[in-house]
Amino acid sequence: MSILLDRATRVLVQGITGRVGQAQTRWMLEYGTNIVAGVTPGRGGQDVEGVPVYDSVSEAVSEQEAEASVFFVPAPFVKDTVFESVEAGIKLIVVVTEHTPVHDAMEVKEYARRHGVRIIGPTSPGIITPGEAKMGIMPGNMFAPGRIGVVSRSGTLSYEMSADLMAAGLGQSTVVGMGADPVVFTDLPELLALFEKDPGTDAVVIVGEVGGVQEERAAEFIGREMTKPVVAYIAGRSAPEGKRMGHAGAIIQGGLGTYESKAEAFRKAGVEVADSPMQAAELVRKLV
Amino acid sequence: MRLYEHEASALFATEGIPVPESKAVASAVEARRVAEELGPPVVVKAQVLAGGRGLAGGVRMAGSPAEAGEAAAQLLGSTIRGMPVDRVMVARRVEVARELYLGVTVDGYKGLPRVILSAEGGVSIEGLARTHPERVASRPVSMVQGLRLFEARQMAREAGLVGGQTVQVAAILHALYRVFRRYDALLAEINPLACTPEGQYMAIDAKLEIDDSSLYRHTELGIDPEGRIDNPLERMGRQIGVTYVDLDGEVGTISSGAGLGMASMDIVGRRFRPANFLETGGAITEELLYQAMGLVLHKGGLKGVFINLYGGINPIHEGARGVVRYIQEHGVTIPVVAKALGNRQEETWEILRRGGVHVVTDVETEKGVEELFRLMEEGTR
Repeated sequence: MSILLDRATRVLVQGITGRVGQAQTRWMLEYGTNIVAGVTPGRGGQDVEGVPVYDSVSEAVSEQEAEASVFFVPAPFVKDTVFESVEAGIKLIVVVTEHTPVHDAMEVKEYARRHGVRIIGPTSPGIITPGEAKMGIMPGNMFAPGRIGVVSRSGTLSYEMSADLMAAGLGQSTVVGMGADPVVFTDLPELLALFEKDPGTDAVVIVGEVGGVQEERAAEFIGREMTKPVVAYIAGRSAPEGKRMGHAGAIIQGGLGTYESKAEAFRKAGVEVADSPMQAAELVRKLV
Repeated sequence: MRLYEHEASALFATEGIPVPESKAVASAVEARRVAEELGPPVVVKAQVLAGGRGLAGGVRMAGSPAEAGEAAAQLLGSTIRGMPVDRVMVARRVEVARELYLGVTVDGYKGLPRVILSAEGGVSIEGLARTHPERVASRPVSMVQGLRLFEARQMAREAGLVGGQTVQVAAILHALYRVFRRYDALLAEINPLACTPEGQYMAIDAKLEIDDSSLYRHTELGIDPEGRIDNPLERMGRQIGVTYVDLDGEVGTISSGAGLGMASMDIVGRRFRPANFLETGGAITEELLYQAMGLVLHKGGLKGVFINLYGGINPIHEGARGVVRYIQEHGVTIPVVAKALGNRQEETWEILRRGGVHVVTDVETEKGVEELFRLMEEGTR
């Protein structure tokens, strides 16, 4: 079992004819993802790695019954591409694109809520259900099937965390890179709720980082509603105040978004906080 | 990207926010002339992108053009909270009976703009919201509907304003929201909004931070973001296309992701001090890593470099060539340890090893960092 994505999910790739889109389509197909169509406006009729390309999402949906979409479109087009996809009936979107304007992200988040569509990202490495399918850019060899759910704000640390779990003998049910922009479309508590309900997940690892309040809100949710064990790691303990640490959302400002605030919130909710991804993997192994 | 006060103030004025007449100048002579034109008394304000400017002595009152010239002469060339002052703003002085706070910011968790108004300005709004939440009116605004004028009036009443004040202040708050939307701001703030003894309102400070990801659609501002970065190494980082944060330490770090970069820095920090944070993002090329090596090693005195890469979207084998080329061309003698995993990892290891880089094939970042510590202690490369 898994959340959001499995081997049957009919996946559409948007921006499939670009350099990154093509390369990632090949990796996703090799991993076993059921990619049924691609879209690049103006390139309909071509194919990429044997996947038919359409001019519009509505064609991809009506011809190939695409239900989920992964975006490799340039940042200025993310907003419009979401509108097109949602209107065509897509129910799950993964936005890999970096540097989406924050005001566009706010507009999209409000729109997605009103339409009941799940969007992951922006700046997400994707979603992977190991051994079944992946929508995104995660290197497949860092993951193994199993029963631990992983949610990470960082892309690269989602790989490291999963590989550390593997080294500890633990596979993953699903790994979600939620993105680390100041505004993300799906918040940490929402993803925890999905793992809580998933019969294929025994425990969850959160990979957080400094900036924002996702971890604090997640801690409130865990204290209130979660029964499965949760372990956390938070990156950026040594980050100076007032600097954006690579991710637009990873900034400590006016004393908000600090490591201490997040670690304390987790501990109060009964969540053990590890000092590194490796230590987090060891803590999980003791819990399950 | 933060704008300077004089830039933000000019943009506020175009949306109809009342601001004092002012001009930004770069010399004491000009400051004196502007003070004459405006008519004293004036305020001379250092144009730096630092908070707490007033407390640090960056705001001077001048009763005459000569005093304005003197104040400018003292401020220009000095530093305020570590930031060099190369421009001052000379503004007509406004008599202040009362100060208010107006702000629009991004509520990251809600994913909506948040409009904030308080009848107590000139203070830290975060502090006031903690100690006296009832004195701060604050609400999220729908991106679809925007801030309605009547909502702004409701907020003014909530903050304790009465009668005609609510109408005037609501109009300014509404204009501030328009500035926020129009320029893709992360923060638009007036702190304080002055109320004169005659009951006129005027923004006597102006703060505007624009979302870096939106700068491509704000060429009308004619602003070069690189020029705003005071730290030369951080500026160089932006020029070559990486995020570099300068720290005071002896171990350089290069990572292919922000989270990985922070984790590397944290783990290095257990025993040594990281010299920097450097994150490449998802566009690694041979040239990018060649330049990243140059940037990290730019400041002398480093004792080692730790490289932490994942090949998801990134062609790490190309990056490896850049690292090796830099080491060979510049005769690097300190130990360089690399952990590089993901797509095409074996090819990457081979390139790095041939170029004299110590490759760690473990997945755990601490094992790579420990290998670097060991080499640093041995004093070998």
